Amino acid sequence: MSRHSGPVVSRRALLSTAGAAGAAAALAPRMAVSQDGRILRVRSYSDLQIMDPAYRLSAPEGDIMRAIYASLAVNAPGDEWAWKSLGTTVLEQLDDVTIAFTLRDNIGFTDGFGQMTAEDVKFSLERIANPENESPYAGDWSALKEVEVKDTLSGLIHLKSAFAPLWTSTLPTASSVILSKAAVEAQGGKLGAEPVAQSGQYLLTEWTPKQRTVLTRNPDWAYEPGGFEEIHILPIEDPATAELGFEAGDLDYTWTAVSSIARLRDNPPAGGIVSEKPSLAYVWVGLNKDVPPFDNPNIRRAVQHAIDTETVVDAAYFGAASTSTGIIAPGLPGHRDAPLYGYDPDRAREILAEEGVSGLSVTLDILNQSERLTAAQVIQANLADVGISCEIKQNDSGTFWTLGSKEGDYWNKLQMTLNRFSMEPDPSWATAWFIPEQIGVWNWERFDSAEFGELHAQGMVETDPAKRDEIYKRAQDIMEESGCYVFLTHEVTGILHRDTVEVGLKPNGEPLFPDFKPV
Amino acid sequence: MLNYAIKRLGLAVVIVSVAMTLLFSMIYLIPGDPASVALGPRATPEMVAALRARMGLDQPVWVQFWNFYSGAWTGDLGIEVLSNRPVLTVVMEQLPFTLALIAGGITWSVALGIPLGCMAAVRRGSFADRLVGVLSVAVIAVPSFVVAIYALLIFAVALQWLPAIGAGEPGDLGDQLTHLILPSLAVGLGWVGYIARMVRASMLEVLEASHIRTARAFGLPERQITYRYALSIAILPTVTLLGIGIGQMLSSAVFAEIVFARPGIGKLVYDAILTRNYPLVTGAVLVTTVLFVVINVIADLIIGALDPRVRSGF
Repeated sequence: MSRHSGPVVSRRALLSTAGAAGAAAALAPRMAVSQDGRILRVRSYSDLQIMDPAYRLSAPEGDIMRAIYASLAVNAPGDEWAWKSLGTTVLEQLDDVTIAFTLRDNIGFTDGFGQMTAEDVKFSLERIANPENESPYAGDWSALKEVEVKDTLSGLIHLKSAFAPLWTSTLPTASSVILSKAAVEAQGGKLGAEPVAQSGQYLLTEWTPKQRTVLTRNPDWAYEPGGFEEIHILPIEDPATAELGFEAGDLDYTWTAVSSIARLRDNPPAGGIVSEKPSLAYVWVGLNKDVPPFDNPNIRRAVQHAIDTETVVDAAYFGAASTSTGIIAPGLPGHRDAPLYGYDPDRAREILAEEGVSGLSVTLDILNQSERLTAAQVIQANLADVGISCEIKQNDSGTFWTLGSKEGDYWNKLQMTLNRFSMEPDPSWATAWFIPEQIGVWNWERFDSAEFGELHAQGMVETDPAKRDEIYKRAQDIMEESGCYVFLTHEVTGILHRDTVEVGLKPNGEPLFPDFKPV
Repeated sequence: MLNYAIKRLGLAVVIVSVAMTLLFSMIYLIPGDPASVALGPRATPEMVAALRARMGLDQPVWVQFWNFYSGAWTGDLGIEVLSNRPVLTVVMEQLPFTLALIAGGITWSVALGIPLGCMAAVRRGSFADRLVGVLSVAVIAVPSFVVAIYALLIFAVALQWLPAIGAGEPGDLGDQLTHLILPSLAVGLGWVGYIARMVRASMLEVLEASHIRTARAFGLPERQITYRYALSIAILPTVTLLGIGIGQMLSSAVFAEIVFARPGIGKLVYDAILTRNYPLVTGAVLVTTVLFVVINVIADLIIGALDPRVRSGF
């Protein structure tokens, strides 16, 4: 019989030790990854599908493109809408229709596509503007006449006419990032999900579909570097899941559900900072003027007086959002101080009585989201208060966004909708969807005003802020006078980030990834 | 046996064909236009029409069905028009995450359900037996998404023992397993109850069998009788139950993937339905249907090989 001279490890001892070690590892406190100042983990609401600026499908794709492709200008972080040069040493408006640019030297494309030149600028901007390319973003550069190349790095952007949104919602957006002409042509004219010829402050180094996208600092970027070495972008659709992910230490930045803002503000997670940013989006109740009973303008007016917008917004947004006066948010030219037709249920009853209407039943179509349902239920109660019975019809997004389309068969049954559009920081983005040409496209109220269409066209070319202010105020007055609109809110965006992270955000809370920095 | 196998495979082909037809019909009955949803408000009607043409939606329904049907049998599930990637590639990228989730769920249900069922049978009528009975019904009754949310709140948010979201660092098996613990618990917990009850019932039956009485008469230790001679027989119906359970776990996986923000087939299909991304919906559901049918065919063939009565009755 022999004995082991060394320590004896029985199977049971080995298993219990391994189990204890595993448990200890699992139970160890989990730290936010940004605490070492190297990696930032942020949430985006959808995964990327296309890395071609001309055909991008979502805002998160644009956020990534602005980080991996150099552009002439980008939004500056802060509370005021402003831009800063990124890929240029000169970017200057010479007159209403001419912009001069000079690229920074040494901006290189990856994958062996050489240096960025003025020829690439010409190719990129004209490519989006060219109707033959059928870019959904052609409108961003609708005023572009041509880009004139002066030398390797400089050129002139010539416009067909003055273009007021140029510096706010065209140049700093993903519609103005610069691609390599040679790379795009080598790819057959269109880029797919994986980018080629990257040139920005970051490089997209990993994409695991539906799981994460990793941006890594571009080692060849010779100018101000991005704040973090790596940015991990996690596609999380549900804001509540993202909030839990933040509280569990898996995220460093997310925006929150509006319903969570008050809770998070009163009781912020450990190491978390909660803030609110004014959104530019606009939410309204639309009345289809071509469908009874709303083909009667007085019935439309009665509904305008019947809806208590303050109660609707308070209930739906948990007191975090304010009511709106139109489709143009505070801070932009054309924002109105007050609506024309406020809550006055007595006046609503009077109008209905004058029209001899009783026992009226209407339908309200909404998207199946909780705040919309809450808003719709308050509207339903408001309408019941003046004698109108309202049936709420919930739709999933795939159905909802086709309800008013003239291609479908529901537009002539659609009576009321509770709708929300997102916005760029120029008032023309708000008015664009309600011109007569948009009837049956996105103008589901079928609001038809030639004067409104003319005002929209004037606003696009008018560069005097005071005159633009008048134009857009008048445009919203016309919308409201038609009786087709009850303006509700611009919403609010809740932001949640670690105290170890200095966030780089646009005034409306949208992220500017390269401007995030460790504290 | 060969005759049985051919008949069983033939039936599988019919099942897949019927599933494809039903799937195609259901999808096209849903209102909504995928091209408008995909392109958003900036798209002109001409662009929407062009995308509809690229997706083949401008063709008669029977042509679309034939294209889908004929392509599917050759393994061509089409192109996902938004990202321009093959549907099969997109689906196969997500499939391993769902399979891992289901495997994790099965592991939880087997690791907890079988010992609990055994214990309840061996201590029949005791407090432990009654407790297992109550707990089994309780975990069956609680929906998996409720389990998912509470598990996340307790273990990820409050205690911070486990991660809340994602599938873990690619290439880091340990991290991926850590990320699998909570979602797989959510998927598998309900099955702990089913399995515990099934094992208990089978064990009670087997423990009364003559060969067990013989083993006792020979003086074999009770532990050896229970786990070696009784459980090995009593577990067979549980294996069959688990085969059927995979289909139900696929449904639970959708909730777990959404709550834990994990990639996977469930979430892929959910997103694709919302955006009316028809090629992706049909491709993903077809792959999971085929997977389910294949698993059941294999199970049937194994049972057929073991039990000749099954072959003769088919």
